[in-house]
Amino acid sequence: MQHVVQYLWLIPAVPLVMAGIGALLKRERRRAAAGLAIGGMAVAWVLSCVAFVASLGPDSFRATCTVKWFDLGDASVPLGWMLDPLTAIMLMMVTFLALLIFIYSLGYMAEDENFTRFFCFMSLFGAAMLGIVIANSLLLLFISWELVGLSSYLLIGFWFEKPQAAAAAKKAFITTRIGDMGLLLGMLWLYSKSGTLLFYDNGHGCLEAASLARLAAAATLGGMAVSTAISLLIFAGAVGKSGQLPLHVWLPDAMEGPTPVSALIHAATMVAAGVFLVARMYPLMSAGGHLAALEVVTWVGAITAVFAAAIAVAQNDIKRIIAYSTISQLGYMMMGLGVGGVAVGMFHLITHAFFKSLLFLGAGSVIHGCHGEQDIRKMGGLKKLMPWTFATYAAGMMALCGVPLFFSGFWSKDEILRAAWIWPSSPVPFCLGAAGAFLTAFYMMRQVSWVFFGKPAQAAGARAPAHESPGVMTIPLAVLAVFAVLAGFLGTPAWPWFQSYLNGEKVRFEPAALLASPQLNLMLVSAVVVGVAFLAGWKIYGNVAAQSLRAMDPLQKALPAFYRLLENKFFIDEFYGATVVRLNTAFAALADWLDRVLWTGAVQAVTRLTVALARFDSAIDELGVNAGFDAGCDGLRGAGRGLSWLQNGRVQRYMRIAGVAFSVLALALIWGCG
Amino acid sequence: MTLSLDWMIPLIPEEIVIIFALAALAVDFAIVRRMNPAVRWRVIGATACAGCVGAMIWIGRATNYGTSEMLALSPLTQFIKLALLGLALVVVVLSLDARFTRHTGEYYALLLLATAGLMLLISSENLLMIFIALEILSVPLYVLTAFDKTREASAEAALKYFLFGSVAAAFTLFGISLLYGMTGELGLGAIAAKLRTQPVEPVCYAALVMTLIGFAFKVAAAPFHFWAPDVYEGAPAPIACFVASASKVASFFVLAKIVIDGFGPIRGGAAWNDFRAGWMPVLAVLAVLSMAGGNIAALAQTSVKRLLAYSAIAHGGYALLAFFGNARQMLPALLFYVITYALTVLGALAVAGAVENSANGDRMAAWAGLGRRAPLLAVCMFIFMLSLAGIPPLAGFFGKFYLFTAAAAGQPHLGMLWLVIVAVGASAISLYYYLQVLKQIYAVPPPAGAMPLRASRAALFPIALLAALVIVFGCAPGWLLGRLSAVLNSSAF
Repeated sequence: MQHVVQYLWLIPAVPLVMAGIGALLKRERRRAAAGLAIGGMAVAWVLSCVAFVASLGPDSFRATCTVKWFDLGDASVPLGWMLDPLTAIMLMMVTFLALLIFIYSLGYMAEDENFTRFFCFMSLFGAAMLGIVIANSLLLLFISWELVGLSSYLLIGFWFEKPQAAAAAKKAFITTRIGDMGLLLGMLWLYSKSGTLLFYDNGHGCLEAASLARLAAAATLGGMAVSTAISLLIFAGAVGKSGQLPLHVWLPDAMEGPTPVSALIHAATMVAAGVFLVARMYPLMSAGGHLAALEVVTWVGAITAVFAAAIAVAQNDIKRIIAYSTISQLGYMMMGLGVGGVAVGMFHLITHAFFKSLLFLGAGSVIHGCHGEQDIRKMGGLKKLMPWTFATYAAGMMALCGVPLFFSGFWSKDEILRAAWIWPSSPVPFCLGAAGAFLTAFYMMRQVSWVFFGKPAQAAGARAPAHESPGVMTIPLAVLAVFAVLAGFLGTPAWPWFQSYLNGEKVRFEPAALLASPQLNLMLVSAVVVGVAFLAGWKIYGNVAAQSLRAMDPLQKALPAFYRLLENKFFIDEFYGATVVRLNTAFAALADWLDRVLWTGAVQAVTRLTVALARFDSAIDELGVNAGFDAGCDGLRGAGRGLSWLQNGRVQRYMRIAGVAFSVLALALIWGCG
Repeated sequence: MTLSLDWMIPLIPEEIVIIFALAALAVDFAIVRRMNPAVRWRVIGATACAGCVGAMIWIGRATNYGTSEMLALSPLTQFIKLALLGLALVVVVLSLDARFTRHTGEYYALLLLATAGLMLLISSENLLMIFIALEILSVPLYVLTAFDKTREASAEAALKYFLFGSVAAAFTLFGISLLYGMTGELGLGAIAAKLRTQPVEPVCYAALVMTLIGFAFKVAAAPFHFWAPDVYEGAPAPIACFVASASKVASFFVLAKIVIDGFGPIRGGAAWNDFRAGWMPVLAVLAVLSMAGGNIAALAQTSVKRLLAYSAIAHGGYALLAFFGNARQMLPALLFYVITYALTVLGALAVAGAVENSANGDRMAAWAGLGRRAPLLAVCMFIFMLSLAGIPPLAGFFGKFYLFTAAAAGQPHLGMLWLVIVAVGASAISLYYYLQVLKQIYAVPPPAGAMPLRASRAALFPIALLAALVIVFGCAPGWLLGRLSAVLNSSAF
């Protein structure tokens, strides 16, 4: 394992180099750009497989490699990377999904004129994300984290000529930056307390027992342990990146980016980085038995899960619905981490990554087939027109909803609910989780009914009937569908390979665990929840096939006020607009006023004064100094001519001068200085 | 009596150079005399190159250091010999396309003999040896200056050089004999030991001044500089280069050795608050006269070579500032300065030679529009001029910087600050005439119908190399300075 970890840096480095080369390509070199990106990611995937196999080996649980970045006075700043099961499984997931999505993009972006730039940015993103995953230093993680934010910004605003896309990119960048501020503060605090940012460093790392004990023992404001305070600051970074309440507002808007970007970055990988960060910092979050940080994680996750699912019910944009679904599922992951630990949250992260990117790519295929249409009210009957897309989308939808036994989402969500059920602090998260599960199944049923069932709805002005997407897009869909189904079997209660692998234990096959006490009941409960939600959704939306834009949503007829609240996303954006943004605008106006009136006045005054002084100075210069200088120059030139006269070419005079010089010098020494 | 040749071993590099000098003659007489001039110059030039390179290789490999009564071999002397051989090599290459004489063999032989004199001068530890080495150096230079028989100026310059040189040599010899009379010693160390113990008599100061005059002549310090403008202008261009660069480096080194090793006890003082008799006030006077006189006289010049000659006098004055530094700083600062200055002035004179060859004269007007007519030469000249003026990031800036800091910090209470102020003022004046040349090159349009100026490859290559070195030593001055400090520390100077 140690010899593998030494070369682990290659995994992010290869895509990074490819991005660098891609940035130098001319816009016309489309094939080269795509080839570089896909080739680079394929290499990264192969290397990740090697790393994964190495991590399966029995020799050690974790291996690290540290290099010195630079010296600063006496201190040196090390950077490092590591290989443990958490890293290995994330590497596999990220490289594999990125590879599939890159290939899918070949078809999706085929007509875009900035194809070259797209693949350059995607490679950059891949490199940064892989950097987060392998980092064994909070500093390296933070650097990659910011690079991920940058590439997300670039890709959301990829079609920057659209004002919404440019605004969404800005919003995403600024909103996540608020969370990053917390992460930065937490990082600095951690460094000042533990003296290192390496996670694991042969007992000296900040996540190792000695350091954790110190951090947990120290207390800060209100008796809170320092470890808890730092954890909460770091969690703020995760909240921003993973779109948790209250920093979730950027994620739905981020759907302005190309759909492969939504699938890779805003569903499968980058947004999961927040969850990964919490998982990585889990030892700190739970240090010394202080569970306050994890409780915050749980509550934020649980509330987000329900909240976002509710909003998704009343959205009409196919991508926005799954964007809110993503927020909701990320909430589940956070809740899973909080109540059940790393393995529970990470399992949902991995299964979610597959089925959610599947859903996004399926949505992209639908949009592609419908010539750019994104409003689900204008779709319908696509089941026949796009059979492949429908079949795979259905698999992803059932995985997301948690249809029992055969779909991955069932197993991973069930794990979370089971852990929430036995969570000692409060039963509320479990109830929120169950409610979220109901809503999830409901809104997905609504979406699928409107998009794929019923009669084909020809919106006014649509150019041509919908068509199936090319093979380069449907094949990745099919591959993902297979994984969306199978991934769940890696972590069933009967054979919890995933959990054992992450915890470094040996896996046992125990079919009896399936029938054990809360397990069976909970499985039944979630099956019933999903079934009821499907029935309700089908009942309400299945028959209303041909929607027109004017017609009201059935739910809207029944509960107009509540629907309005959901449709407008609980008015959170408006609330921010009225408070934070307005405050900021007011402050900006004040600063502008100060700049225009006060500083400009001061600058003007100084300018006038300077000009006056300069006039005065110039008068002195003209009349006094300049005249003197000219005289001096004339004098120098005259002296030059005089010296030339001395050099008249007669060697006798030279000798005489030398002789005189000798005499003067000698006499001066003898009498003058003696 | 057994014939021992052991004494020849330390002198092998010098012997190599002399053997190749004779070989150049022999090759010329025996083989290439009747061939066409291009072949003849190349064959003999190659022989001379081989001599320089061979000596350099030998020095680079040899590690047998030691000091005898007459000679000293230390890492420092070897380093300077390497630098001198490098400069001589450049001059040899520059001469390849010269056509001013038919006596190719004699030309290169004399050049190599002068180089051997330089090398011997570096190693000498004894006043008599120093005098002999000086003469070995000087006599070939007198002859070489006169080598361009097609020009009257060449002969005139040579005669002045010779007359002035022999008078200066006579002074030096007289001074040495006086010293010998007083101390009974000729070795530098022994003289110092005697001077330290016995009372200083007035005649001792006379001897001091007389001895120094020989070197003031060699480094062209005012008022012993009168030969320089004539020689720079009249001598064949490569010889002017040699006189201005290699000869100067060696002379400054030996001057430093004599005043520090030999006249250490009669140092005196030249600080504003501490004037005492000794070599310091003499050198201070020479420095002031050189800096002021050289720079002011340069203002009035219309010939670029004469201008460079006066600028050389001024630069000699700057270099004298190093002698007021403390023991640790003075030699690195001095050697850094003279070596980088030698590179720069060698390049500048080579450009002047190239322009002179194709424009029939080096009056300012001949340089008009050089930026268009010969862009590469013009850029190189631009670099050399700015380096001479001391503009960073060129080597000349750091040279002056080290000199001035060494002088300012050398004496207690900033005693030599007055001299540094004079030097800074003088270099401000110097910018004027350097920029005059650049103005001709870049701002003045070329005369109507002027043809592009073609310099031969044998000239262009060394010039470009020197310009590159000037930039490199300016951007990374630490390397050369570090080498100098390292060889100094291992030489127990």
